[in-house]
Amino acid sequence: MGKIIQFGFGLGLAAALIAFVSWEAAHCAIPSSANPEVTTEPLAIVVNRSNTVDDLSTSELRRIFLGDRSHWPSGRRITVVMREPGEPERKCMLHDLYQMSESDLKTHFLHGLFTGEILVSPKILATAAGVRKFVFNVPGAIGYVRLSDVDNTVKVLRVNELLPDDKGYRLRVESSGVKQDAHAKEN
Amino acid sequence: MRTRKKTETGATAGKLVQTVDRIIGTVLPQYTALVVTLVFCIVAIVGSFVMRDLQTANSSAENMYRVSVQGLLQVGEMQYFAQETRRATLYALTTNDSNLQLNYADQTRDADRQVTRAIAEYKREATLPEQLELANRLSNDWAEYLGIRDEVLASILEGSTKEAVSLDLSGGVPSFERVKQELNEVRRLYDRQASQRLANVVATSRRSALRLIGTLLFAFLLSIGAVWAIQRSRMLGAIQLAKLQMDFVASVSHELRTPVAVLSSAADNIADGLVTGKAEIQKYGQMMRNQTRQMSELVEQILLFASADERSERYIFERLTVAQILDAVQKSTKGLVEGHGFVLERRIEADLPQVLGDLPALTQCLQNLVGNAVKYGGERKWIGLTAWRAPAANRAGEEIRISVSDRGMGIERSELPHIFDPFYRSPRVVNMQIHGTGLGLSLAKRIAETMGGGLTVVSEISVGSAFTLHLPALERNEVEMRSAAPQPTSVPQR
Repeated sequence: MGKIIQFGFGLGLAAALIAFVSWEAAHCAIPSSANPEVTTEPLAIVVNRSNTVDDLSTSELRRIFLGDRSHWPSGRRITVVMREPGEPERKCMLHDLYQMSESDLKTHFLHGLFTGEILVSPKILATAAGVRKFVFNVPGAIGYVRLSDVDNTVKVLRVNELLPDDKGYRLRVESSGVKQDAHAKEN
Repeated sequence: MRTRKKTETGATAGKLVQTVDRIIGTVLPQYTALVVTLVFCIVAIVGSFVMRDLQTANSSAENMYRVSVQGLLQVGEMQYFAQETRRATLYALTTNDSNLQLNYADQTRDADRQVTRAIAEYKREATLPEQLELANRLSNDWAEYLGIRDEVLASILEGSTKEAVSLDLSGGVPSFERVKQELNEVRRLYDRQASQRLANVVATSRRSALRLIGTLLFAFLLSIGAVWAIQRSRMLGAIQLAKLQMDFVASVSHELRTPVAVLSSAADNIADGLVTGKAEIQKYGQMMRNQTRQMSELVEQILLFASADERSERYIFERLTVAQILDAVQKSTKGLVEGHGFVLERRIEADLPQVLGDLPALTQCLQNLVGNAVKYGGERKWIGLTAWRAPAANRAGEEIRISVSDRGMGIERSELPHIFDPFYRSPRVVNMQIHGTGLGLSLAKRIAETMGGGLTVVSEISVGSAFTLHLPALERNEVEMRSAAPQPTSVPQR
């Protein structure tokens, strides 16, 4: 029985690996030197303007987005906001931050909620404007939007002391056509 | 006693009526148009004040309506959007869909912005301390509610429905109730102020209506007074004219009766054979001729006056020298002047220009003046007939003045304005039994004016009178032009 489970797990892992590689090839940011036709733009991590936190490391950000860290230093509960599955921004986060597949992420949160390690599952919103509004309305919220979708209702966090405009900022998402689709969906 | 008192009152009233009549008789005939204009102006001025008052009342009513309606709309909007703020927040509780919750969050925030703006506007427009205090209270309570609402909204979006409900019940509901009560208070305050404004407008309107009625009444009474005064003036004029005509008839009758009586008695004496001898008959004939001439002159005078207008159209204008005119006058009045033992002193300035006129008419005019001088010349029995040139009084150029003066009884100053009126005879001369028709001066004035000139008088009691005939002098070139042209007679158009 245990072998069967191990075999199943191994098969699942292999399938996940294949799916991840194929997704990465298809969607994730590719350095411009590798594919000069695809342009990217930064993905900003945004929080409520009342939030006192200005900078997070990649590992802290990952813990927050995985639900492993549930409260801000001020004591306010953290609410993670995510885009719907399949959106480029979400795919980018899965690849660059979570380093997980969609199903792994789902499994992670189901497990966490079941065991009580995670208090609240991420809120899923359909549009970048929705993310912005949510972050604006909820003091403990954290989410991500393209840099071009950022406005003054939210605060952009530094990641590893880098702002989205800075060189070396790692979270980047495909722009152009992909973005236009996203906007069409928002509208 | 009562009868005497009544008599005194009647006398006072009679004096008052006489005074009013005198004023009306003096002022209105000459200034009727002025009086009517004055009445119109007074009514127009008072009317303009009333119109301004009405406009003010209208403006107050409009302002009251605008302020009240706007205020009620503002309060209504505040109440509606406050309810919307709360409704959208509570609706967010009814779903787990974060996207839908965000829509409700947007709705509640849109609504709360409207309320915040309306409260700020109310605060800005607040004038009374009571309003200002209420506006501050409302503003604070609304801000407090919004703080709680934001927390509730955050809890809802976070998914903590229980926490959101708990927060809303503990803080949101009481806070919102306070806001509701304050909004109701704002409405009550508006209602009270609107009632006060309405009462003010009603009072202003009533005042305006009263003023309008007063003005109309005043204008009506003033118009009636003016119409009455004008009618009264006309009636007095007609009465005066009738009186003058009656006096004239009496005077003419009197003037005719004396020579008729003389003629009658003379005829009786001759018929009865009482007159014998050539000398007696000559004496009677002379007397009858004088009386007949006197009657003829009187009749001629009356006929002249009666046909003055008609005759003036038949005047034949010609160039006349002043000497020519004076000669004619002297000739026609010689008998009269010498008959009464008067001396006529004639003086003419040298080189006087010619005048244009009708010789018989001018002679008649001056003859009347000489006749008056004889009649009223008194004991000194002197008449001056003087002619000179002077600058024209009413136009450019020169005029010829021919004056007939005497050293007789003179004319009272108060009578001077009336002596040229037809049929007018001074009460003084009537009392003195000096006969006349009251037509001589009127006729003379008419002739003078028809000749393009005028007739003026200067007189002083017991010193004498001087009547001056003004005639336009012909300019030298005018004379030459007229000389060069054929010698037509000119008939001026009246």
